[in-house]
Amino acid sequence: MNPNPIAILLQTALLLLLAPLITGCIRSWKARLQNRRGPRIGQPYFDLRKFLRKDMVISEHASWVFSAAPYVVFITALLVGLMVPMVTTQAPLSLFGGILAVVGLLALGRFFLALGGLDPGSAFGGMGSSREMTIAAIAEPALMLAIFTVAITVGSTDLSHMVAAAQQPGWNLFNPTHLMAFAALFIVLLAETGRVPIDNPATHLELTMIHEAMLLEYSGRYLALMEWGASIKQLVLMAILANIFLPVGLATDGSAAMLGLGLAVFLGKILLLSAAVVLVETVNAKLRLFRVPDLLSAAFVLAAMALLSTFLFK
Amino acid sequence: MNMNPAAPTAIGPQIVMLFAALMLVLQLLLVVQKMLLTNIRLFALQSLMLTVIAAVIAWYYNATHVYIVAVLTLIGKVIFLPWLLNRIVRRIRIVEEIEPLLNAPTSMLICGGLTLLGYIVARPFTTLEKLGNNTLAIAIALLLTGFFLMINRRKAISQVLALLTIENGVMLAAVALTTYGMPLVVELGIFFDVMVAVMVLGILVYRIRESFASMDTSKLSQLKG
Amino acid sequence: MELTSATLLSATFLGYVLGAAAGLTCLCHERLAKGLAFGLATLASACGLLAGGLYLTNSAASGPVPIQLLPMLVPYLSFSVRVDPLSAFFLMVVSAVGLAISIYSLGYARGFYGRKNVGLLGAFYNVLLLATTLVFTADNAFFFLMVWEIMALTAYCLVSFEHEEAEARRAGVLFFVMSHIGTGCIMLGFLLLFQASGGYGFAGFHALGDKMSPGSRDAAFLLFLAGFGIKSGIVPLHTWLPAAHPVAPSNVSAFLSGVLIKTGIYGMARVFFDFLPAAAGPPMWWGVTVLALGTISAVLGVLYALMQHDLKRLLAYHSIENIGIILMGFGASLMFLHTGHPLLASLALVAGLYHTINHAVFKALLFLGAGAVLHATHTRDMERMGGLAKRMPQTAFCFLVGAVAISALPPLNGFVSEWLTYQSLLQGYGTTDSLLRLMFPVGGALLALTGALAAACFVKAFGITFLAQPRSESAAQAHEVSPAMLVGQGLFVAMCVFLGLFPTQFIRLLDPLTQLLIGQQISGQLTVANGLVLSGLNQNGGTVSTLGIAVVGLCLLSLPFLLRVVFARGTKVRIGSTWDCGLQGLTPRMEYTATGFSKPIRMIFKALFRPRREVQREYDFSPYFTTGIRFEARVEEVFETRIYRPLNRWVLWASRRTRALQAGSIQAYLIYIFITLLLLLLFALK
Repeated sequence: MNPNPIAILLQTALLLLLAPLITGCIRSWKARLQNRRGPRIGQPYFDLRKFLRKDMVISEHASWVFSAAPYVVFITALLVGLMVPMVTTQAPLSLFGGILAVVGLLALGRFFLALGGLDPGSAFGGMGSSREMTIAAIAEPALMLAIFTVAITVGSTDLSHMVAAAQQPGWNLFNPTHLMAFAALFIVLLAETGRVPIDNPATHLELTMIHEAMLLEYSGRYLALMEWGASIKQLVLMAILANIFLPVGLATDGSAAMLGLGLAVFLGKILLLSAAVVLVETVNAKLRLFRVPDLLSAAFVLAAMALLSTFLFK
Repeated sequence: MNMNPAAPTAIGPQIVMLFAALMLVLQLLLVVQKMLLTNIRLFALQSLMLTVIAAVIAWYYNATHVYIVAVLTLIGKVIFLPWLLNRIVRRIRIVEEIEPLLNAPTSMLICGGLTLLGYIVARPFTTLEKLGNNTLAIAIALLLTGFFLMINRRKAISQVLALLTIENGVMLAAVALTTYGMPLVVELGIFFDVMVAVMVLGILVYRIRESFASMDTSKLSQLKG
Repeated sequence: MELTSATLLSATFLGYVLGAAAGLTCLCHERLAKGLAFGLATLASACGLLAGGLYLTNSAASGPVPIQLLPMLVPYLSFSVRVDPLSAFFLMVVSAVGLAISIYSLGYARGFYGRKNVGLLGAFYNVLLLATTLVFTADNAFFFLMVWEIMALTAYCLVSFEHEEAEARRAGVLFFVMSHIGTGCIMLGFLLLFQASGGYGFAGFHALGDKMSPGSRDAAFLLFLAGFGIKSGIVPLHTWLPAAHPVAPSNVSAFLSGVLIKTGIYGMARVFFDFLPAAAGPPMWWGVTVLALGTISAVLGVLYALMQHDLKRLLAYHSIENIGIILMGFGASLMFLHTGHPLLASLALVAGLYHTINHAVFKALLFLGAGAVLHATHTRDMERMGGLAKRMPQTAFCFLVGAVAISALPPLNGFVSEWLTYQSLLQGYGTTDSLLRLMFPVGGALLALTGALAAACFVKAFGITFLAQPRSESAAQAHEVSPAMLVGQGLFVAMCVFLGLFPTQFIRLLDPLTQLLIGQQISGQLTVANGLVLSGLNQNGGTVSTLGIAVVGLCLLSLPFLLRVVFARGTKVRIGSTWDCGLQGLTPRMEYTATGFSKPIRMIFKALFRPRREVQREYDFSPYFTTGIRFEARVEEVFETRIYRPLNRWVLWASRRTRALQAGSIQAYLIYIFITLLLLLLFALK
């Protein structure tokens, strides 16, 4: 399906406006669950506005790579969002890329994020970059195997096609293959968005930081772009998880009623997934860095089981 | 190339398949989990799933004697045995396993390989399954991974748990393959056998602890003359 | 049209010969030698590029073009070359890479003024290019072996060009020995082919598989795999690569990594797809072996690359990884040929060949960048570099493009060829019912692992080398390199961008290739939406458009600027110091190091690396007042210590035992000759 400029605009607007809300919900609910009052749900919007209006301080050792990184992170997050079906079954840019392009673009964003962490010459940034690239590397096989499993049962790497196939009558929600692939992808979601038990997004101790450490030197509008980009990436990964495994309520045409219903259902699914993330974050403690490969290889074996079960259950 | 196999559309076999897969996932978790109390709970959960599978099969195919199996499993393996093992663990006051022989990722990869092996072994026997689901492969996988669990762990309690999971696998094969299962007498016999074995092991474990101040079964090699 | 291709090719050869002659005759005039030798090489490569391109775009009309170079003097040996689609493709590869490297060398060779003989460098360079071009186009097995040997010899001379360093000498000898072992295997393979075909011409070798017995066909497969595998650097035959590529002059390293190892790939494509297959398709285990070897090479190559802090050695290990990826495509293609899916086989072959040219381009770019850095800082050690992005901005940009390309990130060319490889693996799952189909998803997962590890490695390589503060005086004094070197790198950047953004146009060039080797043309099926979008073979399967992604991305760039205009008007940008926890400012010694960057991976894979570290404290009177600390860290190179050193020791032991045969007495030697004579007579009697 050819890209429709209106659809692109609408989906971009949805991404930009919804992403901070989800981050805010997760933070606020986590606080409530931990018996604190916590920030209000709309706090990230105010934070972003604050960052945009502040002056910037750039390190004297940083080069142009430092300044380019926020743009790359922001733009790749938006591009990925445009390739993922959210409210409608057809994503606006589904012709330009499927799940493999999504993984590649996220990797591009991470590449520049890591370079941005190394540029100012601070050891914290270097440590964050090193850990982030390592965790991403060991999460990739699990991610790819889970994606392969879903793609094999559907016959395509095109996300819109995966969603459309999931809406066919032969699709079984509680098929063990899909449950195990969902579990594997959920663990990879935690790894990619830097949530407990892999990374604590609320930590103040630099030696325990992974994602935050790379953002230490950013301020002003660059920090706004980085934070927004991270929120959008989180929203997009959740949308992939929600829409591939629970593809109910997606609009098949552009009528206002269907779009409204699709939006409402999408919101519901994302909030449900956020609640699951909050639960997992509250119940678990952050793992030691060298225990993270254990968790991710569990995800890999789960994905391998999912693959095996495609022909195990005949 | 659509590889989606035609999944059985009836709800009964679907639930059986789902819970059998969950039993396998729980087995994997047992392999990597080191806290003994959690392991006992995982085993209880696995036996609960076996109960549900038995109950579903009994209801769906109107085989009343399988209800007895379900009830026995519920009383014995979901309530009684975990309680017993819990008591033993608390008396001995050791709550965590020592480092297993192989580390977590390697163990998990081996279990994945054993599952694959279970599938290969079970493939020629698919005609035996009158209920149309491939739980024989899962049962064999439970058996093999249970054995691997027994080899990998060094504390006696964990090895007892591994034996019990092997028995779970055998029961799964017996119950889920054909509606008639094994003769009730045989099932009862196996059941009480395992019960007694666990109680004896419980006493032995306590004795081992007293003699060696540790539940590490590798210390038993000191008994050699 | 054939005439033009042929004449251009002849012009190419003539150009290289003249360049070599110029280099040799002007040994005393450095500038003249450099200008003539590399200038003529540039012209010759340009002709070669045109020849290959012309042939591939017009070959539908014509068949292969044979050219007789010299009259046939010796029976079985004919000095003829032939331009057919496979040769033309590789001709394009060698010429494109040669063109940019020659321009680069015009600036780079200046670094050798006064130290070494530039004319000799130019002469060897031209002979190497000539020999490689001849290898790709040779038409006769004997001629092929001749130019193969010349190529190996010149490469050896160039690798040991800076023979004052012991490291270069050792690397040269290792390269030489392994190359010859490979040549031996290839010779035996060609002998087997000769037995079946009766002649040595390549035209007679076509589709020979039917005439050979399965045993000799399998033996030929293994021999050629070993021989060409040594040249390409497949694990476990790769140990010469990380030794030889770093010590050569950087333009030569770029050529070695970019093109020389592709001669092995060319050989494998020629033998496995053109010569050996029978009508029923190759046996399954051929494809399985190649796929497995490719996967192992890819994973191990990138893992070892992560542990290096010598910039060029790191790049050399990455070559091993990418050869692995190419072989994954070839292996999958062989498997599909066996199961009777020619379209999928073409897809996998296209993926492998696309990755070949991609790797040639971005690896050469990276090596040229490393050469520029070496030229400016006089060291290869990453731990002594840093801050070069501000001092050498254009080189930094070119190296960044190469790093993004090799990490398979969109929208550059590495992503496109890996996307094609993933598609062929994914669609391969349904081709067979046996358990072998599990190799495809597992291969895909491992390919993802290597991609992510490669990205990590290049964050390290680019970040430590170019970013932050300089870690040594020589890095602080670095300055941008000469325009010739920048133009050479820029050419490669342009090629990367073209191959990345316009894959559909390039794949059309590969049609004659797949037609020749498999009998299918697939570019039409891979192009949708007026040629802007690349698709996998499945109509409902995934599609990707790097051009679309780039264009939309650039349009989206307006958003941050919009935000800036709306919210951030009037904000200022101050330059301050990096957060230093309240100390008196950060020094370069507080930065992250390359060894530290790769530590998590070293720890996770420590079963493979077996890292060892030693920390020794020196103190005068109390250990609490240390005067110095010595830190040594080592990573074990598994293949060297477990396979090659024991093999060396065994060979030496066996040689010592065999030395007893040379007793030194004439009687003993006469007895040996007599026994041989008796045996020959008895053998003839049978």
